[in-house]
Amino acid sequence: MRPSRREFMRWSMVSGISLGLSRLASADTPSFLVRETLPGRGVPRPATGRVDGVAKVTGAKLYASDFRAADLPGWPAETSHALLVRAADATHSYEGLDLARLGAIAKPTVVVTAEDLDRIGTRVPSFYAGDLFCPVGKTPLYLGQPVALLIFERFDDFDKARLALRDGNFLKFGAETGPVAVPNYAAFRFTRVAGATPDAPDIYSPIQEGWISPGFLESSGRPIWAPLPVAKGGEYVKGAVFGEKIRAELGSGDPALLTLDRDFETQSVDPMFLEPECGLAWYDAGEGDLSIVLGVQSPFEAASAVAFLLGEAGDGFKPKRIDAQFAYVGGGFGGRDHTPFPLYVALAAMFYPGHAVRLAHDRFQQFQGGIKRHAFKMRTQIGVDRASGKITAFAADHVLDGGGLMNYSVSVAVVGATGAIGIYDIPKVDVTTVAVHSRGVTAGSMRGYGTLQTMTALEVLIDEVATTLPIDPIAFRRLNALKTGGRTMAGNPYSVSVRTREILDKLEAHAIWQNRGVEKAGAKPGYLVGTGVACAAKDYGTGADCALGTVEIAPDGRISIHGDAVEMGNGIGTALANRVAIHIGGIADAVTVAQVDVFDALELFTSGDSYTISQAEQDTAAKDTRWVPAISSATSASIGAHVGTQAAAEAARVVFRFGLWPAALALWGIAPTDPRAKQAGEAYWQDRHLIMTGLSPLPLEAIAAKAHAQKGVTGAMAHAFSRWAWAQATFDIAGEAWTGDIDALAIRRGGDAFTRLDRSVVAFPPADYNRIGTAFSSLCGTLVRVEIERATGLLRIASAYSVLECGQALVPEVVVGQAQGGFAMGVGYALLETLPPFEDGPGNGQWNLGQYLVARGSDLPLHDLEIEVLPPLAANEPPKGMAEVVMIPIVPALLNAIFDATGHRFQSLPVTGAMLKGALA
Amino acid sequence: MTNLALTINGRAYGPMDVRDELTMNDFLREFLGMTGTKFGCGAAQCLSCAVIVDRPDGSSYTNPTCIVPAVNFDGKSIRTVEGHASDGALTPLQTAFIEHFAFQCGYCTAGFLNEGQVLLERLARQKVARADVEATIAEALDGHLCRCTGYVKYHEAVRAVILADPGRYLI
Repeated sequence: MRPSRREFMRWSMVSGISLGLSRLASADTPSFLVRETLPGRGVPRPATGRVDGVAKVTGAKLYASDFRAADLPGWPAETSHALLVRAADATHSYEGLDLARLGAIAKPTVVVTAEDLDRIGTRVPSFYAGDLFCPVGKTPLYLGQPVALLIFERFDDFDKARLALRDGNFLKFGAETGPVAVPNYAAFRFTRVAGATPDAPDIYSPIQEGWISPGFLESSGRPIWAPLPVAKGGEYVKGAVFGEKIRAELGSGDPALLTLDRDFETQSVDPMFLEPECGLAWYDAGEGDLSIVLGVQSPFEAASAVAFLLGEAGDGFKPKRIDAQFAYVGGGFGGRDHTPFPLYVALAAMFYPGHAVRLAHDRFQQFQGGIKRHAFKMRTQIGVDRASGKITAFAADHVLDGGGLMNYSVSVAVVGATGAIGIYDIPKVDVTTVAVHSRGVTAGSMRGYGTLQTMTALEVLIDEVATTLPIDPIAFRRLNALKTGGRTMAGNPYSVSVRTREILDKLEAHAIWQNRGVEKAGAKPGYLVGTGVACAAKDYGTGADCALGTVEIAPDGRISIHGDAVEMGNGIGTALANRVAIHIGGIADAVTVAQVDVFDALELFTSGDSYTISQAEQDTAAKDTRWVPAISSATSASIGAHVGTQAAAEAARVVFRFGLWPAALALWGIAPTDPRAKQAGEAYWQDRHLIMTGLSPLPLEAIAAKAHAQKGVTGAMAHAFSRWAWAQATFDIAGEAWTGDIDALAIRRGGDAFTRLDRSVVAFPPADYNRIGTAFSSLCGTLVRVEIERATGLLRIASAYSVLECGQALVPEVVVGQAQGGFAMGVGYALLETLPPFEDGPGNGQWNLGQYLVARGSDLPLHDLEIEVLPPLAANEPPKGMAEVVMIPIVPALLNAIFDATGHRFQSLPVTGAMLKGALA
Repeated sequence: MTNLALTINGRAYGPMDVRDELTMNDFLREFLGMTGTKFGCGAAQCLSCAVIVDRPDGSSYTNPTCIVPAVNFDGKSIRTVEGHASDGALTPLQTAFIEHFAFQCGYCTAGFLNEGQVLLERLARQKVARADVEATIAEALDGHLCRCTGYVKYHEAVRAVILADPGRYLI
């Protein structure tokens, strides 16, 4: 069964609390929504650039960290400040906070502890299971676990306390207990044995048989991978028998087979988004309203989690309404998707009613409490037929450190495991994975999501295979690459384009590759030169992704868009504007993102878990035309372009087909019975004019005015859902059955209000698709040439080339920018960034950018980094997710280049200058 | 407490009493509401907090604000991201940042904008050879961290402004 990546709550009511149903009152001060609607009233969008361009270069208030109570109409005038006190010890019993000593420096107005949460009756959402505050007498579950929330009325007191708590030990600890023992979060085994020919059915695969998990030793909690019967969890024995047979073949010592067996370790790192987590909240006890401003990747989840937290709270602590508003995000990279931070923001407000309270991490606190990337330990075995050069079998064992809370550890384990064979077509695969608890800081979602780790190990191993056989590394990859229609490790084919051969051809033809020998031979005295290559195929989407979008056009042709996707640098606002413009001819004048409270007209509700729902449950639920499998997704898993724009694009199609097109026909004087009235697909937009062969071009403004005048469809609101395929539904619009890749629709005629339409037919993707690891994948290949100074180990990236494919690039400049940024993040991961586990790591509260090194401009080949984006295969190829894949291949490519230069193959990350110097000594 | 008076974006502030330990970043963000200047690390490592300080001789430099007490700016004249555009008209560098898609999340943009502007003002006084443009930009911007972009487009935007006005910036 696919583990859930999110919780699902009913749309309108959670535990009797109504969620986000109104806007802030208007006042002289611009409202939050006005500030967050871009390019902004009266601000023309430049000819090129992002919709948020002007706002971001003028310092406009956009991010959650920019807002104080005084910036928000109707809020209290003053802002109070909250501080989370976290434990830097997870092996001794916590005995309390020395408030008397702290009070001498700065006395908090309010102190919130575990006892207080017990007293008021909060509930922790299962995704964050574990004490929100470590109770007195218990050992902290993990380093950095909060023990108390302090609220200060004055900023100066807060600031003094913040500094004092960083440098002084105000927490009391008792007896040594050792770390808290917690069972493993999950373990899975993915085994596939292909049939005799590519077309033959698999002999065994996760798609056919379901996903399997082993039993666990009662004494230690370790998985039992041997094919012993498991009390629950499916047909483990059957899969394990196949898996063990694969391993036996790999260990048989067959001389015709090249077998390599290698260990590889990756480190914990911080997403290091530049805006630390923060939020602002105010509980108006008289009205029962809890208002929150947050910056997260998962708005709907955050609001739902807060509602769950307080849903059963006692008198005075259960709000009647939660009005959650979501700001632009100063970087995310996964690390702001499903974090417990919003829960603490809400608690701050609830325990200081009548006051606006701000909770904001500083960088030390963000290192101590923010989500991290999982450290992996991997053992990988590969078998290659020496004669043919074909990979015959692959086995791997992954152990990932999930840290203190489970968070996304289960799905990171799954995604890492099912991505472990990268771009290759391997007939026999057996991968085990186990996500373990530790007292380290919680690990969760981060760009690459497990595959960065496993594909790095793979591509380094592939390079070693090519060297050992020997065979040209690109030729070896081409020989073994998965082709269109080939099956992934789970047993399903990708349902999107697979362009590995094109990517490899590009890499092979590039000057960096062609000149590698010359460059190596011509290295300056005292320097070594090496060239490396790697290629990655990264899934995008989670298998249950959805989007909300509204498109409206005014009589004067002004276009506005609302979407629920989050802008965190991904250019989603611009992507929405560009994708909608394809259908209705104009770039939007107002785009609002991260909105989850403006789609009431759809009257959506959900039930069950879209990752685990049975077909029968889905079929029953779907009979209610308001039901959808999930309502709103986090902006993560590289779904921005593919999913985040889907609902708005479909809404725009409806506006065109049933509003603008009929208006254009009227302006052209074409009767509905005229055959040309059916040729909407042949019309196209150019410079805000609708063009139709043989007819006068019509300006968008005239068409919009006509559409309003004849009460055509001038606005559409839609919901889209994908489980590796879009849900499709049919709606009766203007007497015509219209089918789209959406499952809910409301329309507006002229200037009327939105009206929900019942779908007459709906086809949700089958529930069995949950057995698919992924069906969506994008590719990226990277070449890199390095120079290493022998005496110092100093490495310089001389030049690099990344080539990727992502279907239709909605904002090509953003795609290139993401690729450049992914390259930089990959360089940091390969060479610079690392967080030690446990007491020396970030949980001790002493980490900042002085110790934690991320890539700067001088670490990168700023003028010698070439990015190439392949054009889409067809004009109508949909956009594909690419934000993650672009950071993967540079990591193994660097290690492979280092091997080429030095002859030393590193099997752990990061490869620092000191390690290089040591290897060259 | 110390009495503080300074000029920000051409407007006089103070004199007012501020706590000696209060950072300039908190003074701008918490007390003046000028949140265009960002807080990134509190350790002067990322420079998203950098502002421009104008010297009396007309030259300028950037200064981090996250670890520097506000009182250190007493009597000084500074510029922040909010002060670049004039009556809604963007500067050439602001326009170049937009046209080159220089930023993504934009949280580091104020720091890069200030650093780039100081570089332009320096080059206007002390021109640079065309061959040294890239290295000059790289040296100027290298203290600034960006986690989204890989820096390339920031550099391209600054370079575009320099090359667009060779008489002003190039030898």
